[in-house]
Amino acid sequence: MRLFLAQFRGELFKLFARKRTYIGFGAFLGVEMLMLFLLNLERVRQGIARVIEAAGYPAEAYLSGLTLAFLILLSSVFLLGSLYLALVAGDVVGKEVEDGTLRMMLCRPVSRTRILALKLGAVLVYSLVLTWFVASTALVVGLLHSGAGGLFVFAPMEKVFALYDFGPGLVRYTLGVVFLSLSLLTIPAIGFFLSCLDMKPAAAAIGTLSFLFMDSILRNVPFFESLKPWFVTSHMSAWVRIFEYQIPWERMAEDYAWLLALNATLVVLAHAVFQQRDFKA
Amino acid sequence: MIHVDAICKKFRGRPAVADVSFQVGKGEIFGLLGHNGAGKSTTFGIALGHVRADSGSVTINGHDVAKARSPALARVGAIFETPAFYDYLSGWRNLRFFVSLGGGAPRSRMEEVVRLVGLEERIHDAVRTYSHGMRQRLALAQALLPDPEVVLLDEPTEGLDPEGIHEIRRLIQKLRAEHGMTVILSSHLLHEVEQLCDRVAILHRGSLVFCGRWQDAGPGGSRWKIDTPDLEKCPAALQGLGATVLDGGTLSLPESLDPSTVVAALVAAGVRIRGFRKQVCTLEDFYLERAG
Repeated sequence: MRLFLAQFRGELFKLFARKRTYIGFGAFLGVEMLMLFLLNLERVRQGIARVIEAAGYPAEAYLSGLTLAFLILLSSVFLLGSLYLALVAGDVVGKEVEDGTLRMMLCRPVSRTRILALKLGAVLVYSLVLTWFVASTALVVGLLHSGAGGLFVFAPMEKVFALYDFGPGLVRYTLGVVFLSLSLLTIPAIGFFLSCLDMKPAAAAIGTLSFLFMDSILRNVPFFESLKPWFVTSHMSAWVRIFEYQIPWERMAEDYAWLLALNATLVVLAHAVFQQRDFKA
Repeated sequence: MIHVDAICKKFRGRPAVADVSFQVGKGEIFGLLGHNGAGKSTTFGIALGHVRADSGSVTINGHDVAKARSPALARVGAIFETPAFYDYLSGWRNLRFFVSLGGGAPRSRMEEVVRLVGLEERIHDAVRTYSHGMRQRLALAQALLPDPEVVLLDEPTEGLDPEGIHEIRRLIQKLRAEHGMTVILSSHLLHEVEQLCDRVAILHRGSLVFCGRWQDAGPGGSRWKIDTPDLEKCPAALQGLGATVLDGGTLSLPESLDPSTVVAALVAAGVRIRGFRKQVCTLEDFYLERAG
């Protein structure tokens, strides 16, 4: 176990020593600033205030840092998160095969299974770190800008509308980020699987994005409403249900079991492919 | 120490290696020769478990590489023609990462190997600033770090200047002399192989066409080059001596025949001799004869 941890540390060091790993972090910070600027525009604030007041609540109490953080997460994390997670996951095996460093690794007395486990672990850690970075910075930036206050949740796609005071709102936000992190693990799982196939790393990243975007587009076609349970992104958006007044735990458990099964299948397939592959110059 | 046993591998239906077998003993320096695409890298790949053989096996120290990678490769170091590193990390970080995959090495051992390959001044610089020769040295360092008993070197001198080639050659000889290391070496520099290797295997289109001491594998006897305007008189002059005239004024003499007897017979037959010298068969001649 000590050896595995030492190797894992090396794998993480490799990942986080690369400049491109940080593009996602920088991009999210930029988006957060931009959204904050736009949310600050009078007509945008008025739009949000109208929705809150229509529900019979005072807008000033809920136009807070917590609400801004939630809005940033809801609107940016899927699209941007997919992009950067797919890029890193698509690289994790494919780039090393392309560069020849995987062959160097395979010269050492280490099993292919372990190499794959190290890479999977590293990309999952990256996914978690990026998600929590986005959630934390969104909250900090929101609080600095608008101060503490109630949480206003409006997610029409998932049919969630709720208002919370600051304390319970912060708890829901934290729980929401926990489940969002779990949802987003599916993106590196898909990217990782494609990265293990005999294809260029860019193709693995594009393949991952194409799959997710197509899935999301199809899910939003009104006529496919009855097919929603079959779309991956339907299950990935389950994290928003944590903001319902009565959390539908059973339904969420189903969604996350579905995602877990999908991710496990992808990892098993990736392992089978990786075991059989020949690595030549 | 290393048993390559009837390995076969096809890529998209085309045979890359076909029924290749050889053995390399402890402390031996063994050369693997062949044109590009002859199957050398595939053989190396199978020996390191990078490539799955369709049939056959490679065992190192009694462990089948395909079935028991870790024990088989525990004391093996390898470098390739184009060593790949993480360019954005320093040489030292690269070494630390690769050695950690095999269980790690103490700092003192790392420093010792870095000194051995002459990289101590640049080891903490990013690999992207290294020249090709420095990358080769770094590759050699990572191969030597786990204190290997066996080293597989695929074109280790590729792209090096004459001084670098000389240094690598000296290092290989030193490693064998001081540590009894077993080395399998592939190179296009036949002169290097000739100086270093005890035995060679020649691959041609995936098949093994020769394996052994090339010096002992000649036709027997000796070959002499004669320079004369009367070449057509030679066969008659040499009749009864057992010597034969080959193409281009080359004479093949049996082991028992003294060359001076041949010269005397030729002179007696009126052959005007301008020059008569022994032909030395080089590894290059030997190789081209079999794989050319």
